[in-house]
Amino acid sequence: MLAELCSVAVGLGEIKISRNPADVLVAYGLGSCMGVGMYDPEARVGGLLHAVLPVRNGTGDVLAAKYVDTGLAQLLDELTQAGAERRRLIVRMAGGANMLGMSDPARLFNIGQRNIVAAHEFLTAHRLRAQAQTVGGTAGRTMRVYVANGRMTVRSMGHHEQDI
Amino acid sequence: MLTEIPVEFDEKLRTLLKIMVEEGVTYAARGFSDMVGTPLSISRPQVHLVPLAEVPNLLGGPESEAVGIYLRAQGEISGQIMLILAYAKALELTDMMMSQTPGTTQTLGAMERSALAELGNLTGTFFLNALAAFAGLGARPTPPAVMVDMVGAILDVIVATHGGVGKQVLMLQVAFWARSGKSRPISG
Repeated sequence: MLAELCSVAVGLGEIKISRNPADVLVAYGLGSCMGVGMYDPEARVGGLLHAVLPVRNGTGDVLAAKYVDTGLAQLLDELTQAGAERRRLIVRMAGGANMLGMSDPARLFNIGQRNIVAAHEFLTAHRLRAQAQTVGGTAGRTMRVYVANGRMTVRSMGHHEQDI
Repeated sequence: MLTEIPVEFDEKLRTLLKIMVEEGVTYAARGFSDMVGTPLSISRPQVHLVPLAEVPNLLGGPESEAVGIYLRAQGEISGQIMLILAYAKALELTDMMMSQTPGTTQTLGAMERSALAELGNLTGTFFLNALAAFAGLGARPTPPAVMVDMVGAILDVIVATHGGVGKQVLMLQVAFWARSGKSRPISG
């Protein structure tokens, strides 16, 4: 019999790590924010980052998980401490939309796109790559990481949950 | 509508802001009333100081479907205004604006979004004008952008441009309804 699943919300600028197979880590309503999920299928540990901005400069907020670069570094650290090995990690990501779409011809700050670029740069620098991604566009997304089996999904408004 | 709060926030400033935004909301409702050609009653605006990260939960949860009408203020007053309506309420509003029988609008196409943009433009301009007059400063709104999406994704526009995960915002909640008394209040 399947255990009852338990949704664990991953809020703005947060990271959640879990080894509990009943947990489903959820980053709700990602717009320009990035959701990056990582899972080690042998250690059966998963993590999800909900980052807001691309890069933390020297004067940035102390909250590492608010930024894609420092957030991913922290996500890797926490997963390693929880028993994951980097070489086994499955990485998937979602988000980075431009919510203003065509209403923003000047692409104000272009934060969604910059978040995507920052995530790829970090992964490349750390010899990782995203096996799958659903990024960019103009629609919000909810991303889920199922700790039991590493399944990662995305759902947009008016659509069913889909594997990525 | 959201207005970022300065760091040096105290009770005196909060009271002053409350007076200003109440006046702004009253003017905005007047503008909306002129637009739909129907006298409207509005509730006394509720003004809450809340952490930005908590706002989605106060609007039905980050995954709930909503319409966000976004404008920026430019000039001597700069800031951002986001009018957020539950999706179902936005459909009702569209019917009201387009003089249609309630329940006619089922989806928000280009025409409906244009009407909602105009609503945001009008109410935003009235709101800003009231604030500008109160403060003795000049301000003008940018053209409105309409987003139909999850509340969390809509609010990312504010969160990302201010980077303020831990910041607090002034959240105004107001209900309004046609004076005929036949319609249910619409809150936003």
